[in-house]
Amino acid sequence: MAGPESASPSGQGMNAEAKAAHSFTYWQLVRLRFRRNAYGMAGLFGCLFIIFLAIFAEFLSPYASHQSNRDLLYTPPQWIKIYDPVNGFQRPFVYGFKEDMDPNTFEITFSSDPERKSVIRFFVEGSEWSLLGLTFNTHLFGTDEGSTVHLLGTDNLGRDVFSRMIIGTRISLLMGLVVMATALAIGTLIGVTAGFFGGFYDLVIQRIVEFFKAFPDLPLYLALTAILPRRADAVLIFVMFAGILVLLRWADLSREVRGKVISMRRLEYVRAAEAVGASNGRILFRHVVPNISSHLIVWATYQLPEVILLESFLSFLGVGIQPPLVSWGAMLNQILDFQSFSAAPWMMSPVGMIIITVMAFNAFGDGLRDAMDPYSNA
Amino acid sequence: MPETGHSSEALLEVRNLSVQFRTLSGSLLAVRGSSFSVSRGETLAVVGESGSGKSVTARAIMRMLAETASISETSEVYFKGRNLLKLSDIEMQRIRGDRITMIFQEPLTSLNPIYRIGDQVAEIILRHRKISKKNARSEVVRLLDEVQIPDPEARASQYPHQLSGGQRQRVMIAMALANEPDLLIADEPTTALDVTVQAEILALLKDLQKSHGMAIMLITHDLGVVRKTSDRVCVMRRGEILEQGLAEQIFNSPKHPYTRHLIDSEPSGRPDPLPKDALEIIGGKGMKTVFKIKHGSFFNRKTLDLVAVNDLSLSVRAGETLGIVGESGSGKSTLGMSLIRLQEPTAGEIKFQGRRIDKLSKQEMRGFRTDLQVVFQDPFSSLNPRMIVRQIVAEGLVVNNIGASGKEREKLVREALDEVQLEPDSLDRFPNEFSGGQRQRIAIARAMVMRPKFILLDEPTSALDLSIQAQIIDLLRELRRKHDLSYLFISHDLKVVKALCHRVIVMRDGDVVEQGQTADVLDNPKTDYTKRLVHAALDTFA
Repeated sequence: MAGPESASPSGQGMNAEAKAAHSFTYWQLVRLRFRRNAYGMAGLFGCLFIIFLAIFAEFLSPYASHQSNRDLLYTPPQWIKIYDPVNGFQRPFVYGFKEDMDPNTFEITFSSDPERKSVIRFFVEGSEWSLLGLTFNTHLFGTDEGSTVHLLGTDNLGRDVFSRMIIGTRISLLMGLVVMATALAIGTLIGVTAGFFGGFYDLVIQRIVEFFKAFPDLPLYLALTAILPRRADAVLIFVMFAGILVLLRWADLSREVRGKVISMRRLEYVRAAEAVGASNGRILFRHVVPNISSHLIVWATYQLPEVILLESFLSFLGVGIQPPLVSWGAMLNQILDFQSFSAAPWMMSPVGMIIITVMAFNAFGDGLRDAMDPYSNA
Repeated sequence: MPETGHSSEALLEVRNLSVQFRTLSGSLLAVRGSSFSVSRGETLAVVGESGSGKSVTARAIMRMLAETASISETSEVYFKGRNLLKLSDIEMQRIRGDRITMIFQEPLTSLNPIYRIGDQVAEIILRHRKISKKNARSEVVRLLDEVQIPDPEARASQYPHQLSGGQRQRVMIAMALANEPDLLIADEPTTALDVTVQAEILALLKDLQKSHGMAIMLITHDLGVVRKTSDRVCVMRRGEILEQGLAEQIFNSPKHPYTRHLIDSEPSGRPDPLPKDALEIIGGKGMKTVFKIKHGSFFNRKTLDLVAVNDLSLSVRAGETLGIVGESGSGKSTLGMSLIRLQEPTAGEIKFQGRRIDKLSKQEMRGFRTDLQVVFQDPFSSLNPRMIVRQIVAEGLVVNNIGASGKEREKLVREALDEVQLEPDSLDRFPNEFSGGQRQRIAIARAMVMRPKFILLDEPTSALDLSIQAQIIDLLRELRRKHDLSYLFISHDLKVVKALCHRVIVMRDGDVVEQGQTADVLDNPKTDYTKRLVHAALDTFA
């Protein structure tokens, strides 16, 4: 009947509460749960891939974004081939184009020209690019001097669509990150303070939030971007454009955060901090903010693709990113009319990148949200 | 009846039941091969502390386990000769709510807030019996009457929020009784209720059992409840049944040391005698705290004054422990929080060591925070889950600039942990790695590290298991002795108050009902209210 503890009839050994031998911290649990979620992991790898593209864009693309070839306007995509009826299997290559003009419509059509073959070479020298202050001129792939490769065709100025799409990742992603991070900082600060201090300050903040939320989005974006100086530097426009997006993005988050903080304000560990004499600032940033961090992280991963979509939409309308900066939306702006769309459908390819990015970040966000659910230990 | 080889008197026979939970950190065996039986008309109490697997056992019988749980192949649960674990889901649904019913701990969330009481009870009846809606309606009224809900007809058309906690638990019991079950499983049916209501609900269950002849499987951590109600007792710990037998036998001559330990864990002892010339350390005069509740429409805005503490005076002397007792909503916590200015009192004069502190600003109050500390009720919500123990305990030192260097602070933190009997290797762990009792020790260390003169103890033991409770009480007593601390001890549990407090104030609806030396008040309660409290808590053999 008596268990092994019968030797010590009192003391710790008697307790029903077994001492936790090994347990995980919150973030270890999150990692474990996330790793089991295949969709979330796919999203994570997708996101890492996109970020990799953005960082090494100029190395991965064969040409610079502004490099144009007057002889090759609107050329269709070239397929990489490794088989040729004459020579059999060989190094990857692409065929050049023969230009024909339809005598009736004056439409220029392109067809593959087996005579003009450009062999694809790796680590070729090309236009200069710089990363972290160092200048390089090596590109992952390219062709010999005199021949060209345009995997996704060229645009109206004879620029390589593939290269521009890769390089465009940079601006699109940067826009997403800048807007998301700034909105996150502003929304958190305003939401946390409003929820914590309450009273008249909260009342004023909430009316301001409602004011921002009551605006019809699209006309407001258009109106705000219309006042951007057209002739200003492209970088300045980028910054101002980001500012406008931030202005309309922080409001939602501040509301959510405020609600969380209000419910947290009455929690005993917050009151315990008050009881040891901690200042408001300390309570906010040591006790309140760390405990809403999982909410903030999930919000951020959902917000990023939304900003990217919005940026591409506004840039598509021509009110966002201005040349010489390249973004996916700005590239789509070139096929604003149906005529050029039907003539050069390959210029739609940035749409593919947008879809991949949005899906990857959303999948990552979904996985994170599930993994961060504090009540699941399954 | 198919041959099953079980004894024929047993209504429910559980054999070799094992339940396993799948978790991220590996699988967890919540119930390990437990076997017991319940006969017709008897009350079996399953006693255990948190994590002992008692609720999981009940849910396994009802087949209401979470998806992550699995019952082992060798388990058998025979109910009236049928193995419940082998039944199809549909067959099980027919038994659930009809032959076996269950009531839960939390009457607040067990009822659906958007349906009327009567409809919810009627649903149970209509689901299992062929009966017209009209007859079901009169059946509902009869049931509500049977569970002693006053004015049952009117109550049937009310919503859950219009009923008190005790009444809601009565409705739950009515629902459980609706189809004359053979077995009622009551999972901590009185834990969430006030002590006086607890006694009424237990008496009701006992009466109903007599008139209906059903068996009750009572799951509880409270030995007092077991004593009052049970025929037989199973003692569980960490998923195992350690001992089972007749209640009398278990209480009088427990065989397993753990059972003995549980029985000995009931708070005991008396407070240390207090020197006659002890000076007042903190006192409040004419304390009043009012919450303003806005209601009414926009054009007809009204403010309701909810008086939580009504013109109350109290005084705690150096080394003294003053108990504040009352049911939930009596204003005892508000009084305590107002006294140390964690809640703004509406009126009143508070003096700490002769200095007025009730008019001080938040900034000025900070100077007093080291002397006035607090330990909260729930050790799970009073520790920041994102901080390690070192940070939690050292926070008071950091914000008050105590200790010149990190090294000195570390020394103070280690001393505080030693004082609450926690291992120094706890320093770098997060609160979630500790059990309830250990967490409460951390919370006490957080208060003690500041070397306070006065600690407000807001129900520090009520969220803890019985055996842990006794240890925390011993710890508090020892700390008081060592540092000549003064406590204001808020509790609804008179047993704990009796063991710890020199004087006691009994509160109800913000007013003092009775006050005086603890022994006087508890031995000769003068008011009905105090009598009921004392009766519910201390008369274990009712």
